[in-house]
Amino acid sequence: MTQATITFEDVRSDSDKKVKIVKIVGQLDESNVDEEAKKIYAVIEGAGSGLSLIFDFSDLEYMNSKSIGYLTDWYSKVSSSGGKLVVAQAKSNIVDILQVVGLTQLVTTYPSVEEAKLAVM
Amino acid sequence: MIASGNQSQVQVPQAQQQPEPVQDSTKEPVKITIILPTNAYFLSGIRDFTLTMTKNMTGFSEQWAYRFQSVVDELCNNAIEHGSEKGQNVTISFVNIPDDSLEVIVEDSGTGASKYTAAQMNNLVKERISMMQGQYLGLRGRGLPKIVAEWTDELLFEDIEGGGLRVRVKKYLRSKEDAVLSSSGDPTHVMLT
Repeated sequence: MTQATITFEDVRSDSDKKVKIVKIVGQLDESNVDEEAKKIYAVIEGAGSGLSLIFDFSDLEYMNSKSIGYLTDWYSKVSSSGGKLVVAQAKSNIVDILQVVGLTQLVTTYPSVEEAKLAVM
Repeated sequence: MIASGNQSQVQVPQAQQQPEPVQDSTKEPVKITIILPTNAYFLSGIRDFTLTMTKNMTGFSEQWAYRFQSVVDELCNNAIEHGSEKGQNVTISFVNIPDDSLEVIVEDSGTGASKYTAAQMNNLVKERISMMQGQYLGLRGRGLPKIVAEWTDELLFEDIEGGGLRVRVKKYLRSKEDAVLSSSGDPTHVMLT
């Protein structure tokens, strides 16, 4: 199975906004994406309304079409509950595939996590 | 779109199409064939091979090497999910004419529970391309119409005599933007970096 590690970090803020950084390291493909996706669904469903997610893709090397489908679904869930979902520090090949499927029209990509934080907080 | 006999072809519209190749190619095609068991476990190795081979042998740029990596992965995923049952094989062939074109051919055994014919695949791709004209929020279905079709010049489905589906995709190296400044010139010399 292809290796992927997902970690979650709460972002502290002066406001009452709930923001988490989701860092994905490795590759998301057919062999692992269904299992890894469950961890992110659990966080979204456990947080209630108003959760915003910053996906730190600095160490994400590959994502397939199914993982893009999941990212789209997380965007829909987070947006419908009043939060935001953005991507930060994605490598050029990841931005390229997000663009070709049209997802960059929905999900904004930022060059740094700090800029992503400013956008969601 | 051209469809005749047991073949169905999708002509992929390309915004970047230009008539002149980067240079005239008189080089012989290089064909590499890999046979995989029907298991997604092996796909990361195929992606690594595709990336390295495209970067070092074909004359395509690094950006296109990553794009081919995705194209091959999506085609193999489909073959494993739909075309070949467990215990069977998927065959992947790369046909490269250096500094001219790269063709990828993926064949399944036609033993999968949800296999498709060439005509069905052709219709499916056309339907999905149409479906994704607007904002698409579905979980599945982007692989063929968006990744494979957008990043290749030709997409051809063929029924294999005796069973199975063959998918051919081809990308021509037409513009300088798609090419590296210089390729190795030696198709047998792959730099493993």
